[in-house]
Amino acid sequence: MTSVCMYFEVHQPMRLNHFSVFNIGNHNDPNTSYFDDKLNREIFEKVARKCYLPTNNLLLELIRKYDGEFRVSFSLTGTFVEYCERYMPEVLDSFKELFKTGSVDMIEETYYHSLSALYDDMAEFEDQVKMHNQMMRKQFNYRPRVFRNTEAIFDNRIAKKVADMGYKGMITEGSDKILNWRSPNYLYKPTNADIKVLLRNYSLSDDVGFRFSSKGWPGHPLTADKYAQWMGHCEGDLVNLFMDYETFGEHHWEDTGIFTFLKHLPGEVFKQNYLDFVTVSEAVERYVPVGEIDVPWAISWADEDRDVSTWLGNDMQHSCFDELKEIGRKLRENGHKDLLHTWRLLQTSDHLYYCSTKGMEDGAVHAYFSHYDDPYEGFINFMNVLQDFKQKIN
Amino acid sequence: MKIAMIGWEYPPFKAGGLATHCYGLTRSLADKNAKVFFFMPKTKHKSSSDKRNLKIIEVGETDIFPYDRPDSKEIEGQFFESVYKYNALVAAKINVSVKTNGKFDVVHCHDWLTMKAGIEVKETHNIPLVLTVHSTEYDRSGWLYPNQWFIDIEKEGMEKADKIIAVSNFTKNVIVDKYGINPDKIDVVHNAVHPIPEGQKQEIVLFLGRLTIQKGAEFFLKAANKVLDYEPDTRFVVAGTGDMLPKLIDQSVDMGISNRVIFTGRLTEDEVKHIYGISSVYVMPSVSEPFGITALEAISAGTPTIASKTAGFSEAFKNCLRVDFWDTDEMANKIISLLRYGPLHKTLSSEGRKEIDLFTWDRVANKTFDVYNGVI
Repeated sequence: MTSVCMYFEVHQPMRLNHFSVFNIGNHNDPNTSYFDDKLNREIFEKVARKCYLPTNNLLLELIRKYDGEFRVSFSLTGTFVEYCERYMPEVLDSFKELFKTGSVDMIEETYYHSLSALYDDMAEFEDQVKMHNQMMRKQFNYRPRVFRNTEAIFDNRIAKKVADMGYKGMITEGSDKILNWRSPNYLYKPTNADIKVLLRNYSLSDDVGFRFSSKGWPGHPLTADKYAQWMGHCEGDLVNLFMDYETFGEHHWEDTGIFTFLKHLPGEVFKQNYLDFVTVSEAVERYVPVGEIDVPWAISWADEDRDVSTWLGNDMQHSCFDELKEIGRKLRENGHKDLLHTWRLLQTSDHLYYCSTKGMEDGAVHAYFSHYDDPYEGFINFMNVLQDFKQKIN
Repeated sequence: MKIAMIGWEYPPFKAGGLATHCYGLTRSLADKNAKVFFFMPKTKHKSSSDKRNLKIIEVGETDIFPYDRPDSKEIEGQFFESVYKYNALVAAKINVSVKTNGKFDVVHCHDWLTMKAGIEVKETHNIPLVLTVHSTEYDRSGWLYPNQWFIDIEKEGMEKADKIIAVSNFTKNVIVDKYGINPDKIDVVHNAVHPIPEGQKQEIVLFLGRLTIQKGAEFFLKAANKVLDYEPDTRFVVAGTGDMLPKLIDQSVDMGISNRVIFTGRLTEDEVKHIYGISSVYVMPSVSEPFGITALEAISAGTPTIASKTAGFSEAFKNCLRVDFWDTDEMANKIISLLRYGPLHKTLSSEGRKEIDLFTWDRVANKTFDVYNGVI
């Protein structure tokens, strides 16, 4: 038996206002002057209409149709949940309804979808994971057992920390760099920690996440029965299909047939004799690691490089990252509790992502996700905000 | 392939991007074994060629620049006459050349100044006419009071050309919208650049271009005024000359920043290279900019560039900053950011130079060959 494990990342960053050097040091309120409420609301409502609500409805329908045998997992970031509470509580309600079916698992992350796991001192990371945990308990009355770091960023050090915090499983990329000849379709164990690692099958995941509507791809058009057959031919315990939730209806619009694909997927999977669905927690309970992985340098599921160069690939990104860390040190020294939340919203990895200058295919993906005209605009705006914030805490 | 090309300026005689383009293009065509006869007015600085396949033929004399306006004082009264005279001389010279050297395969002319001659050569010798549009009357007038006389000449040339090369999609759209030309007749070929070496960077913010309404130097000064409130040690250089020079000097005095702004007047080619090399920021706030070779020149010298959003080159170039020419707050924001944030300056500088390597005259020559082969 091979289990299909579907997991969806659900996240929205708090995008920044246009903030020029002339705004630096004008005694403005960070919460209103830094974040572009209008744009954020527009984007959130658009994505909710195109993706969150229709996909949640479809999943609920499918779970009921197949008596709970169709199972999926989600991670909802803290900023996403704040969006729901602020603008569209019905979106959060529909996730709760899905969760109540018992066929849906929730995954832990950092509340702010940040790069705090890469700080020298892991206290901030721990705080943000705990915040997420509290949020999950409050909203879902649930303690997730599996952890997924921001964009699946993973190395030995992070794995050790997450294991120490009591999680049973952790998610990352099925990168060739760590697997070599080995298959991502099994659980593995980090060399230095006692935790089970689920590895994304990037080939099959990207067939849906990236290539589904790409007419030049030989697999196009991708139908549910074709895809289920591909999975049926997979060897191993698990096929991990991990992707952005926005795959459905937002990255691939409705007219590409993505919803029809999803609608037929469970039925086609069940037609294959040796396939079933599991949540991430069930995967970790059911299977045992077949080998060890050693990840001294951070990997992730982002871009072609599958490392952290997406956020820390150029000097501009490094300088913003350094400023964020420096601000954190000062905040802890000065004890500005009221500014802590703002600092954390600025830590959301998307702000650094917008400053990426990677060219070619990745660049096109970056431009798609960014509301700035180019990475330089993204940097100027972010750095201006950080400079203003620094003055506020001094 | 034998090409009769009609130009107006050629290094060392140079008033703008037209000269740079003709220089780069003719030499690269010659390297690819085309025989190029380049016709241009006789000037004080003798232009010559060191290439076997490229002949520079100087014709008559003229005092007119491609960027002159008929109302400019020095040439008052004789403007239109001079243009017709030069075009007639070129056409006659090409007739002589055909008699001695044989027929050309194509005649290629650049902008309004050479269109009359281009049309005449096409009709006399029954050969295809290719026309490159570097700018239109709408660009040069800053879209304020375009002169119908130029527009008529341009329209006639565009209509009679067998194929038009536009230096950008921006310009292609102007040719289609304002001159009513069939878009299928227009190919876009973006310009290239001969890279300029990087110098020892100083805190200089540079404007370089003709001081005409088209190039927007007044917006540069407005932005300078705002920058100086925050970064008082910055120096601003306005390089170039033009009819707006006295007004711009007055403007800088009125704003009280004349001690921080240097007007260089007209620079030699070496001086231009030097100033590109040592500047920290280049600003091109053109009201209308069909391409903007100067931006590529500055970027090639490692100088991060802030350009008008509509500038033609930026359609095809990623690593520069963009502003609306009238948005001097944003222009100042970007200048200050470049001065303050080293990593921004460094990234733009290095990524920009990498991208510049794609803009070669070899590529321009190949694309121009494609155009020739389509009409011969």
